[in-house]
Amino acid sequence: MKQYQLSTGEKKFIGSHLLVAILALAVGSLFGPLQAFEHAGWDFYPYLKPFIKSYYQGLTVHGVLNALVWTTFFIMGFLTFNVMFGLKRPLKNMTLNKVGFWLMVVGVVAAAIPILANQATVLFTFYPPLKANWAFYLGLTLVVVGSWVEGWGLFMTYIAWRKENPNERTPFIAFASIITALLWQICTLGIATEILTMLLPWSLGLIENVDPQLARTYFWFTGHPLVYFWLLPAYISWYAMLPEQAGKGKMFSDSLARLSFWIFLVLSTPLGFHHQYVDPGIPPAWKFLHSMLTFGVFFPSMMTAFTVVASLEHAGRKNGGKGALAWIGKLNWSDPSVAAQLLAGILFFFGGIGGLANASYNVNLVLHNTAFIPGHFHLTVATGVTLSFMGISYWLLPYLTGKKLWNPKVAVAQAWTWFVGMIIFSNSMHVLGLLGAPRRVPLGLAPYVPAEWNSRLFQVGVGGAILFLSGALYLTVMLMTALNKEKVAEEVTVPIAESMQDLSHTPEWLDRWAPWVYGTLALIVIVYGPQLFDMIKNIALTSPGFRVW
Amino acid sequence: MSTKQMHIDPYERNWMIFSAILLVLFATAVSVAAFGMGIQVPAPETRVDPRTVAVDPNSPWSNPGLREIEPGKYDAYILAHAIPNWEYLPKEITVPAGSSVSFYVTSGDVQHGFKIQDTNANFMVIPGQVSKLTVKFDEPGTYNFICTEYCGSGHAIMYGAVIVTP
Amino acid sequence: MAKKDKEDDEFRPTGTIAILAIFVITLIAIWTTIYMILVGRGGTL
Repeated sequence: MKQYQLSTGEKKFIGSHLLVAILALAVGSLFGPLQAFEHAGWDFYPYLKPFIKSYYQGLTVHGVLNALVWTTFFIMGFLTFNVMFGLKRPLKNMTLNKVGFWLMVVGVVAAAIPILANQATVLFTFYPPLKANWAFYLGLTLVVVGSWVEGWGLFMTYIAWRKENPNERTPFIAFASIITALLWQICTLGIATEILTMLLPWSLGLIENVDPQLARTYFWFTGHPLVYFWLLPAYISWYAMLPEQAGKGKMFSDSLARLSFWIFLVLSTPLGFHHQYVDPGIPPAWKFLHSMLTFGVFFPSMMTAFTVVASLEHAGRKNGGKGALAWIGKLNWSDPSVAAQLLAGILFFFGGIGGLANASYNVNLVLHNTAFIPGHFHLTVATGVTLSFMGISYWLLPYLTGKKLWNPKVAVAQAWTWFVGMIIFSNSMHVLGLLGAPRRVPLGLAPYVPAEWNSRLFQVGVGGAILFLSGALYLTVMLMTALNKEKVAEEVTVPIAESMQDLSHTPEWLDRWAPWVYGTLALIVIVYGPQLFDMIKNIALTSPGFRVW
Repeated sequence: MSTKQMHIDPYERNWMIFSAILLVLFATAVSVAAFGMGIQVPAPETRVDPRTVAVDPNSPWSNPGLREIEPGKYDAYILAHAIPNWEYLPKEITVPAGSSVSFYVTSGDVQHGFKIQDTNANFMVIPGQVSKLTVKFDEPGTYNFICTEYCGSGHAIMYGAVIVTP
Repeated sequence: MAKKDKEDDEFRPTGTIAILAIFVITLIAIWTTIYMILVGRGGTL
């Protein structure tokens, strides 16, 4: 059966997302190892002085480009692909999506200029009253607004498809992508409010002071669902593509996959206080409620773990795998896209464990703002998500360009070096955190570092070096593929795992939008409303800005 | 559309039930620690004006330091500031072993963190807000408190210590 | 849409249970370790 074909123009559009994403990753990832080296006592920052003034400026570049730009551009491109390919139709209004894309590009440039000029060394959380140049806040706003516009384009496309196909079950990849885009629209209201009502007018000199506690609360309204915005596209690939790639496995449970996406939509926003457990300005009762909801959102990830692993096991058994665990070896490990995503998934298990500890209310007293936190999110966003996206790009780039993947063996090595480097880096960061080492600190300079941290700090540097190599391999594979003269023999087949059950087993209520969306909004109002209302009512605009870097 | 029952594999159903039970157990353990053992996260204290908190004579942080409330019970008022040279005031406090110290920490400029090593005191310091937690120091020794939130170019050197004498 | 294979009906995800069992044991061990650090350090009120 011939697959649905995207037009050359559509492929180019998705390819432009990939291009910006990878450029951001290339620059941003340069600075990750520099941080790790600094911890090990090999500080290169003094040599970078003409361009980069400090560790913290490098950390800002790393966080903004990797956590915000690489992810957002890759995700918007991937979601757009999933909607078109899944629904087998072009975008309803390509111009609208292009406008959204270009808004994001302009936003990135606007934010990059002050960052590079050391006018926005505020890290990717930009907590006021650290005060960046206005162009930084404006740039971030444009990125968010651009992603909204692209999201609207996807919703319009879905609505048009629904009109043409009133009785069909929404194909899974399109279904899950629309939910992800919707989640993003809802949760970014927090950061938009923070920037538009406080930070932007403040940086332009229109208002004198801000309320830092309220700003943090707006930020984390967006900050945790942001994690799911990163993660859900990887889940889409793990659920609906990876089993096919790994050995023609089928998706074990279409219904539960859909149900887990709905739970993610409903629960991922109303739990932002779990990033603010140790903030002074929020009553413990509200924090406790958010912690319970955080336990709730762990549940669909447990469901995902089962369905994804079972789908992979199905693939492994089809390939002749036996035993309780030996089937794992029968998966297509020689396919770099498979290797990358399997390894990403393995480390993501451990990311989940650390995340549950962080989220456990008072347990956060042991972990808050220690090195445990970057240790944790380098397993989630920097591996579970990023290594999966790299894996996806190993088939997506040949699909979009018609060029053969350059040297798949190097690509497989890239996946393994990322895996090994991240284990060393992340394990030592977790241990350092438990020993009390703070995050966001050039520990090579800190006067309070006890000798017992040294061996771990050295391991951080070793992990960083391996990751640096892995990042370089990835960029090489991408660049050489883009330049490859060798074309793919025929159109690259998009890997889609079919459902093990007949789709008629997927109940109709899993394809109805209104109740879930209203439920989401209602829960947000209940769980955020009273406290947020109280904080806005008692707003204290008493903090002037500081530029202390 | 057909309205057949949702199909759930029995293995997966059991896994879901097990997951739910596990999460309830974790939530219970956390609740016991919070409400049974008094291991709590910070609650809202008074609010202050960060522009005047260090100079207003009515503000305890205009004269930061240790106050003995009753024998073995202390309040420690600590001011975190980035300007001019990233430090806590006071930089050091000394109490005898067995003391219970309530820390009231606020910031005169940007956001900071406050984490006393080897204790459960670990919280954000946010301008305009007062963060409070209490620690009982039983073992003599030096307990560094360090800044755990990025606060500008001197962040890495920002720390102080609680000295617990025998 | 998806045509049913006979072997799909007989597929029992026993390997999945094995992997998830390892995961859960690790999860409980790590979580409990950190929880015990918390409890060992005592109250904050």
